[in-house]
Amino acid sequence: MSASAVVPTSAAPEHPQEDEGLRWRTALASSPTVRLAGRRILIAIPVMWGVTFLSAILMNLLPGDAASALLGANATPLEVHQLSIKLHLNEPFLLRYWHWLVGVLHGNLGASLQNGQSVGQILGQHLPITLELVVLSSIVMLVISVPLALLCARRPGGILDRITMVLSMGFLSVPQFVLGLLFVLVFAVIWRVFPALGYTSITQSLGENLRDMTLPALTIALPSAGFYVRLLRADLLEQMQSEDYVVTARAKGLGTWHILTRHAFRNSLIGFITILGLNVATLFAYTVIVEEIFGLPGIGYQLLTGIGNRDAPLVQGIVLVFAGVVVLANLITDVLYGVIDPRIRYGRAAL
Amino acid sequence: MAALPSEAATPSVPIAAAVMAEEPARSRRGWVHSLDLYIPAGVLVLLLLACFVWPLVYKLPPPVGGSILDASLPLGSPGHILGTDSVGNDIMSRLLYGGRVSFEVMFAVQGIGLVVGGFIGVAAASFSGLAEATVMRVLDVLIAFPAIVIALAIVDGLGAGEADIIWALAVVSIPTFARVARSGAVRVRDQTFVVAARLSGSKRWRTNLRHVLPNILPQLITFAVLGAAIVVILEATISFFGYGIPPPGPSWGNMIAAGQQVMSNEPALLLVPSIVLLVTVVALNTLSEALRARWGVVR
Repeated sequence: MSASAVVPTSAAPEHPQEDEGLRWRTALASSPTVRLAGRRILIAIPVMWGVTFLSAILMNLLPGDAASALLGANATPLEVHQLSIKLHLNEPFLLRYWHWLVGVLHGNLGASLQNGQSVGQILGQHLPITLELVVLSSIVMLVISVPLALLCARRPGGILDRITMVLSMGFLSVPQFVLGLLFVLVFAVIWRVFPALGYTSITQSLGENLRDMTLPALTIALPSAGFYVRLLRADLLEQMQSEDYVVTARAKGLGTWHILTRHAFRNSLIGFITILGLNVATLFAYTVIVEEIFGLPGIGYQLLTGIGNRDAPLVQGIVLVFAGVVVLANLITDVLYGVIDPRIRYGRAAL
Repeated sequence: MAALPSEAATPSVPIAAAVMAEEPARSRRGWVHSLDLYIPAGVLVLLLLACFVWPLVYKLPPPVGGSILDASLPLGSPGHILGTDSVGNDIMSRLLYGGRVSFEVMFAVQGIGLVVGGFIGVAAASFSGLAEATVMRVLDVLIAFPAIVIALAIVDGLGAGEADIIWALAVVSIPTFARVARSGAVRVRDQTFVVAARLSGSKRWRTNLRHVLPNILPQLITFAVLGAAIVVILEATISFFGYGIPPPGPSWGNMIAAGQQVMSNEPALLLVPSIVLLVTVVALNTLSEALRARWGVVR
């Protein structure tokens, strides 16, 4: 693992008279943060390749093919055969994958087998919806969980803390699809405040768009908030109980709230951000479920349709985007980790 | 919390073990102080008894093939305590038989995950070097996949039986177990007692079985209980989306899906199975948390 880190560390010694570009590059190469990022990217390449290859194998193993899925049950074998040839489905699996891979490396994700639309175009249309959902729910989740965790850690065992602990256990346990349906029942069927289904584009009407996004975003945000409240509260309490800097701060006469927000929270933030980054994949998995329930035309919805239609290029394209986002999130996390805590940057960066 | 990303909670597990960190174990004396363990365990035992034993002792209406004349009876109807659904099947009976599916899938998936994943993880840590790195990268690939997507795709391919769901979810569960087992095994593999066992000529499998495994077992079991909650959720989700147990066969997921169709008129058909599912998951999560506190398991 560490052998793959090829960014030179002992680059040419710095000479003031050397040209600006080289000096800049040398500085960059010896920056621990950049080395960490480079190492992460090198590790990410085989993982991303593996994810696409695995999804290709999976699509190939599924019984039935796109030709028969598209033509339906009434198609004659001849029609299916002709369409298979047209879609290149008769070529060997590895050859098809190879063509796809070469295309991807040239920036061409191929065309959907379903309607010949380019996968890049489909992603361009539907990815923003999913991203909006992810961003909105992350904001809601953070706005709920961070202040609540701080308030709970201020008086552990207090009334607020107890209520939060019970509620957060409930929310983190509730399956997304159940929570979504309960929201629909309460806010769309009984009270009719929010629509149960449908999506309005953000360019048509921002208000309508946010109205349509409220229930889906809450469905993703609340279980995650339950999870993060507990995570952050537990870590804050650990900091407050065991760390020397807290004792020092107390000895200086600082109040509990001040120590919590200015000292303990900063230290907890490192671990918090790490877990946040690692769970980005989970967040995207939730969008698949939530988009299906609320009828949002995001890429999660496209993914399920693609699996049903045996539409390998579409599925592989979407999986590639998912994997890319996850890798990117982990990369940002790692870099932030190093930025926040210099000990990690200089010390155990190799991990 | 100081774990570095490569060792930290697996991203495909929504409820990372970390979140279960409660305050350090309180006084361990007396049953009152063990209520955090006994209550969820008791709830689970009751649910298991209800699903597997109750139908044998007490005659329930069959979960399928109800008469259309009995359709849509409300809660508390004579002979149908929880009412009937829109084709006349008894809800109570469907809940219990559906629960059997959920629990059977849960035990099978976590059993397979624990044994196979545990073996892969311990073996990877034991061989170290290139083998370990390769195995871990392959696991990274599997874990980078959204769990629900891989499970749906596999079930779509295999078919909709209970065994197919078990295999599909095992594919999701094995890598996460392997990851936990490996990180646990890495932590003990260079400790003195393991090195001493190795130097004294103990065979590799014997060292792993007698010295490494007992030390990571609490961690693995806690993780298994935690993962069981996720398996129950995934099984219900798969059935809810119509890829799992096909209706009219009972399962909590497809009961909730059926309840969705009539939620404006008969919300009970949606609420009852949802509540049972939620109680089960909460019990599993609290049990895992209590075990963690008890055994002082670190992530």
